[in-house]
Amino acid sequence: MITVQNLSFSYTKSPFISDMNFSVSKGEIFGFLGPSGAGKSTLQKILMGMLRTYQGSCQVNGMECKNRTRHFYENIGVDFEFSTMYEKLTARENLQFFASLYEKKPRPIDRLLKMAGLEQDADKRVAAYSKGMKSRLNLIKALLHDPLLLCLDEPTSGLDPTNSRLVKDMILDEKAKGKTILLTTHNMQDAAELCDRVAFIVNGRICALDSPRNLIMSKGAASVTYTWFENGEHRASCPLEQISSDAQLKRLMAENRLQSIHSSEPNLNDIFMDVTGRTLL
Amino acid sequence: MKAIRASFFQMTMILRRDMMLFVCCLAPIPAGFFFRFAIPFLESLLTEGFHREAILSPYYKLMDILFAVLSPALFCFVSAMVSLEEADEKTAVYLFVTPLTKTGYLAARFGLPSAAAFFATCLLLPVFKLTALSPLILFLLAAGGALQGMIVALLVITISSNKLEGMAAAKLSMLTIFGAAIPFFLRSNLQYFLSPLPAFWIGKTVLQDSPLFMLPALVLSALWICVLLKGYLRKA
Repeated sequence: MITVQNLSFSYTKSPFISDMNFSVSKGEIFGFLGPSGAGKSTLQKILMGMLRTYQGSCQVNGMECKNRTRHFYENIGVDFEFSTMYEKLTARENLQFFASLYEKKPRPIDRLLKMAGLEQDADKRVAAYSKGMKSRLNLIKALLHDPLLLCLDEPTSGLDPTNSRLVKDMILDEKAKGKTILLTTHNMQDAAELCDRVAFIVNGRICALDSPRNLIMSKGAASVTYTWFENGEHRASCPLEQISSDAQLKRLMAENRLQSIHSSEPNLNDIFMDVTGRTLL
Repeated sequence: MKAIRASFFQMTMILRRDMMLFVCCLAPIPAGFFFRFAIPFLESLLTEGFHREAILSPYYKLMDILFAVLSPALFCFVSAMVSLEEADEKTAVYLFVTPLTKTGYLAARFGLPSAAAFFATCLLLPVFKLTALSPLILFLLAAGGALQGMIVALLVITISSNKLEGMAAAKLSMLTIFGAAIPFFLRSNLQYFLSPLPAFWIGKTVLQDSPLFMLPALVLSALWICVLLKGYLRKA
């Protein structure tokens, strides 16, 4: 679906994206993770055919992005982080207009509005929508023409937990239908939950690329931390896979003297910091 | 073509909900009545009052030029305002990643309105003109006016980043139209200082009744449009 080879791009004389290589298969959710200014948005712009002065090769649906034609966009759905709606028009009018730009028969607007929980507000002006409602409307706009590739930028940003769940379920539904999804996010939990593979991008380079699970497993083992009381409170920890050989823990368990015990697994954020030496925000 | 058509009609839908812009589109008609009837009436009052043979009538050709440029300038000003609103609302960015693409967007926002303005001028100018313009001059005037309108619109969207700035930029951009008045008032070679303005050559065409002067007007318009388009595409 997407093949990127030796991709380099620059806004000025110094390179902004350098020597990037990756591919995304059909039906995969691929996440771009990285701090602000790392090059994620630029990479998405290149993949969407908006920046065409790159070096190397970048193919989407078999078409080189710099040579894209208008047909290129028949199979790409884009959900920007910000609202891209006509504020003076209603949600339904917006969706009807955007659907009319495509050759394909659009998906039923009422069904999409219902999916996003907006059926009651379909005839309300978008200016009267809350941020969360605009965000959901933005997402269904990207689905209108039933594209093969979805580019989603922070789709759960600013949503309450209920609506965030709804949006994530909608994304997983699209994946189940065989759609390829590019997801740009700062939210590690979302990335871990939704993405089949993630790429860590820092300073225009891919620092790591694998499934969230493999990244977590390869970079750090889970550990067990326990506390007990013996002339004051003490704390110790050991790797989870060596728990049976920790004599002190065995002794404390036998004597029922443990005050607390818990395991902690590294998460994507820990791995990101480990790989890049930076935090995401 | 389907996307361009849809986007153009979308603009007309926006216009119907914005009274100020809607009125701008219809303004050439009352303006035409003013040019055709109020100006000659004013001329008769002035000549009687000041006991002169002619006061305004030597400039009737200039009035015809200004009327020819009015429809395109207003149509394209309206397009520029819609385009700036789309930039504010970020809908323009979204439209660029649909089958409309940037090129289609420019065609829908500036190409079609200029073409519509050309036809509107071809219809209105024969009705409201004050002088005897030949059909060829009339046609060239409508074409030059349409290109001038596009220049005004592109100037507005290239130098301003929101609707408020756009209003100010529109006033400045409209000044380029007054290049047409220079050949009427400046007879010396000094007038050529303003020759880079396409409107200057439109003025010369009508004043001297010579269609050949439209050639530099068309070439200069194309140059202006190319440069401004480049600036807009770099900014968008």
